[in-house]
Amino acid sequence: MSVATAKKPSVSQRKYVPIYQSNPLADYDPVIRERVGQMENYIMKHCLWQFNSRGWDRRKQNAGILGKTTQLLCGETVDTSTPQEKCYWVDAVCLDRAYRASFPWVSTLSKDEIKETMKALHARLDWLTIDGSLNLELTVQNY
Amino acid sequence: MPHHEFECSKVIPERKDHVVIKGKGEDLTSCLPKGYLNTIPGSISERGCAYCGAKHVIGTPMKDVIHISHGPVGCTYDTWQTKRYISDNDNFQLKYTFATDVKEKHIVFGAEKLLKQNIKEAFKAFPAIKRMTIYQTCATALIGDDVNAIAEEVMAEMPEVDIFVCNSPGFAGPSQSGGHHKINIAWINQKVGTLEPKITSDHVINYVGEYNIQGDQEVMTDYFKRMGIQVLSTFTGNGSYDDLRGMHRAQLNVLECARSAEYICDELRERYGIPRLDIDGFGFKALSDSLRKIGLFFGIEDRAEAIIAEETARWQPELDWYKARLQGKKVCLWPGGSKLWHWAHAIQEEMGVKVVSVYTKFGHQGDMEKGISRCGEGALAIDDPNELEGLEALEMLKPDVIFTGKRPGEMAKKTGVPYLNAHAYHNGPYKGFEGWVRFARDIYNAIYSPIHQLASLDISKDEIPTDRGFVTRRMLSDKNLPPEIALSTEMSPYTGKFDSVSPLRDKAYPAFPREADQVAAMAQETATAVAE
Repeated sequence: MSVATAKKPSVSQRKYVPIYQSNPLADYDPVIRERVGQMENYIMKHCLWQFNSRGWDRRKQNAGILGKTTQLLCGETVDTSTPQEKCYWVDAVCLDRAYRASFPWVSTLSKDEIKETMKALHARLDWLTIDGSLNLELTVQNY
Repeated sequence: MPHHEFECSKVIPERKDHVVIKGKGEDLTSCLPKGYLNTIPGSISERGCAYCGAKHVIGTPMKDVIHISHGPVGCTYDTWQTKRYISDNDNFQLKYTFATDVKEKHIVFGAEKLLKQNIKEAFKAFPAIKRMTIYQTCATALIGDDVNAIAEEVMAEMPEVDIFVCNSPGFAGPSQSGGHHKINIAWINQKVGTLEPKITSDHVINYVGEYNIQGDQEVMTDYFKRMGIQVLSTFTGNGSYDDLRGMHRAQLNVLECARSAEYICDELRERYGIPRLDIDGFGFKALSDSLRKIGLFFGIEDRAEAIIAEETARWQPELDWYKARLQGKKVCLWPGGSKLWHWAHAIQEEMGVKVVSVYTKFGHQGDMEKGISRCGEGALAIDDPNELEGLEALEMLKPDVIFTGKRPGEMAKKTGVPYLNAHAYHNGPYKGFEGWVRFARDIYNAIYSPIHQLASLDISKDEIPTDRGFVTRRMLSDKNLPPEIALSTEMSPYTGKFDSVSPLRDKAYPAFPREADQVAAMAQETATAVAE
């Protein structure tokens, strides 16, 4: 008999909702594309959080971690009030530090430029790992 | 899509969809093989079955448990002792294996009575062990034996024992990965939350997807303990059955092998709100980042940094010694599942080798996404390969070394390519800072072993040189090194001990006072001061 309280998983929240139909980076100027390419390469080589097994999870991971990384790069306050938010923040801190250390151009950008670059990176990562992905398991509704 | 068709598989045209070569400018939207599908008839796969994936990979590393297979004895024999997941209780789970020894007559008349008799006999034979896992097999699943009912009966008769039933017969999935999935979900459904653990730290984790291959878990747990973190349970290497019943009380799930254990992490997150943090115990940078992230989560990053600084100072010169001698060596990284992405980038960056191919026997497309992302251009990626494809790839790529399992490894050796055991290791552990140097040493020893010069000669036709003496590894590896590298006193080959794990078992760790205790102590001090 269980002594702990467990929440029942809600499968209805696990539906894949597409956002991008094509590579969103194609619409950006070459400078942003180059910068996003460098940032994307770092994530793909060093991180694992973008590859959770299901599409809806990847959407949350990308938004959570890249959102917080943007805030850190802009010097804004980051919400760490729940364990899950703190977990996103942990990966965001590592990414923020790595970007500052690896890409000197980051420190030359204004807040608006950082936000625009990170928005493009977020879109690109959503495209690569979710909407443009060839992984047929992303839409499976159970873990 | 940059598919590659092997000559040997032209008779199985569907195989083409399972092989890609990463070309210039390719990304995951254009370069990904199919994966986790039923093996195509005609292809002699190297996969294991779903029973093996559940029992051999995930269940059996639990150390204080009688693991019994309900089925023919061969199922148990073939999953016994072939992976080196050691434990700190004298390797009980490796020493003994249990089977109900089902025969033809039981297939006709049923094997439930036989199962019950075997369960009782096993508990009687090992009275100190009160926990059991039972694994369904193809034969007993097909005849419809109700393993759960028998387990319930025994637990009612013997209230001191607890039994877990894993219903993952061999046919329950395309590969062993199907069994990983089933046992993950079965464990959280049946056992998590059924025992309240004792919490001894302010920082509590489950260490998930870690199987203590040659001591990996013990190395990583050493770091966690040095940080004052309580490892509530390990799923499952060197893990205790009852500890794993208390997984619901951790604050963080730290996940290593996402391929085999992400399911339970994801379910723990959904059901109990415990977040999942993917980490990587292989490679100095990845491991440092991992410890740092755990430290950040608990607000104890300084403790992580102290360990990283100490370990890096101790082991970096030795890793550098091997890196200097492994530059540009071509590697086929052909493990079962997760190591293709755990290792792909780290061995290139930190050991200087070049990964020319990755393959996975039972990985999913998600594993290939990670692996292909971490490889360079020109890498050949193969899903569910067969032996002929492996041979053809070796002929095409001419690697200097191959990291794979025993079966394809022995095949590679026959072609003159040295192999390292990617599943059970050669001289592990490979996790941790020291472990990563041990891995580099094994790669060095494999590539430069003088035996390859001797073994490549065919005494039936080749002329045997008599004017040359025996060469050593060092003579081979340092031949073309500049003197400042070859004779460097700053770098050295591995200086650790043969057994790097056993001493950890008797190690004393610093006590980190808990916040509640500190608050109570302060309150006491204040009360005393007021009273005075």
